[in-house]
Amino acid sequence: MNPLLTPELGTYVWSLVIFLTVLFVLKKFAWNPLLDFLEEREKDIAESLKMAESAKTDLEKIKDESEKILNEAKKEGKTIVSDSKLRAEESANKILNDAKEKSNEFLDDAKSKIDIEKKRAIKEIKEEVVDLSLELATKVLQRNINDEDNSKFVKSSLEAVKVDEAKS
Amino acid sequence: MFIGDKIGKEWTMDQAPQYAIDHVANSKKNIFEFEFLNSLSEKISSFFGLTPESMFYIDLGITKHVFLLFFVSFVSVSTIIMLVQGYISHKKNIPNRFMSIVEMFVLYLRDDVLKNFIGDKEYRDWAPLVYTIFFFVLFGNILGLIPIFDLTGLLGKIGANTELLNKDNILYLLSKGGHTVTANVNVTFAIATITFFAFIYAGIKKYGFVQHWKNLAPSGLPLPLYFIVVPIEFMGLFIRPLALTLRLAGNMMGGHIALIIFITFIFSATAELGGLAGFGIAPFSVSLALGLTMLELLVAVIQAYVFALLTAVFIGMAIHVDH
Repeated sequence: MNPLLTPELGTYVWSLVIFLTVLFVLKKFAWNPLLDFLEEREKDIAESLKMAESAKTDLEKIKDESEKILNEAKKEGKTIVSDSKLRAEESANKILNDAKEKSNEFLDDAKSKIDIEKKRAIKEIKEEVVDLSLELATKVLQRNINDEDNSKFVKSSLEAVKVDEAKS
Repeated sequence: MFIGDKIGKEWTMDQAPQYAIDHVANSKKNIFEFEFLNSLSEKISSFFGLTPESMFYIDLGITKHVFLLFFVSFVSVSTIIMLVQGYISHKKNIPNRFMSIVEMFVLYLRDDVLKNFIGDKEYRDWAPLVYTIFFFVLFGNILGLIPIFDLTGLLGKIGANTELLNKDNILYLLSKGGHTVTANVNVTFAIATITFFAFIYAGIKKYGFVQHWKNLAPSGLPLPLYFIVVPIEFMGLFIRPLALTLRLAGNMMGGHIALIIFITFIFSATAELGGLAGFGIAPFSVSLALGLTMLELLVAVIQAYVFALLTAVFIGMAIHVDH
């Protein structure tokens, strides 16, 4: 019999006993705990992946929302700025117009006062002229004058009045 | 030359095959003698009516391969339990280098073999068996490649003047016999037996005793065909474990015999052509042996995987009959 193929029932029995013992021991202390552990770890990984996914979508939602809010805030800010600009312009214009009106009023007032004063002055001058001419006339009438003198005098006094009028 | 003379005196070229076979075969003597094992062997054998002269005498003595079986089981069990328990109880759960290799095999076998062939639900029942077969065979194959006991034998031979040269010495016996338990057909046949009963048990558990044996042949065939199909399927049932046995043992045996033959080239050349020829051929012998050892490392993993894979496939076939 070939020594490589001899049946050795003793070795066979020992192999069975040893293998079954190894199987029992490893099953209890290695394979079942290891498989449980691996399954648990895979579950953990799957769960944390799911959580990460949901956190990602949440984050995106939050991001979108915050962008929306930011955009709205920007818009509002812009409107506020343009509004206030408009208002400022309006009030500036108003102030300017008011000032202009007031100054115009002042001017008109001053002009009318000046006119009144002028008219009064002219009136006074005229009255003075009349008085002067009356005085002159009395002076002339007290003197004996000829026709020539008369006419000359009337002429010169008239001219004087004219000059006065022109001056005023 | 001293070495050349010594080898030349002891070695002749036609010794090489016998030397290689001695290397792989089991020892005829026991390494350790235990009286109670001898009496137990006698009792069990006489119960079956076997005498010590019979070929099937159940000798439970601790031969080299039995000793190596203990050694392999001790190394594999302690290594795997240490790694797995260390991994599980560690707080961070980061596998170390060896544990990641174990985990890689475990996950691969689970996802691609167990779940694939046995099923997502049933695989947990059979996973420990398939894993144990894979790692037990793997440790047997790889420990067989490490020449631990050749070194002890060398130590025994160096002390040539003392009683260590005694041929009954443990170291001497260990150094000559096979170091690969998985090259012994009895060992592989034992594991194949377990596979055999596992897939029969799987079928009976799923379908009940009667239905399982009915599942052997597909139903709905014309009656005459059953006379052909049933015997073929029945034979196939027993051929499966035999194929497993011979595939693993043959692979390991062949590799180791080739390894020894390559090394004996040196001795043969020395014996036939002198010491210088021995030195000349040594680089070729050693590089051939080195290359073959690399190949054997690959074969060690592949054969362990094939044994585990086929176990899973047979169990799956018993569970999923319709396939």
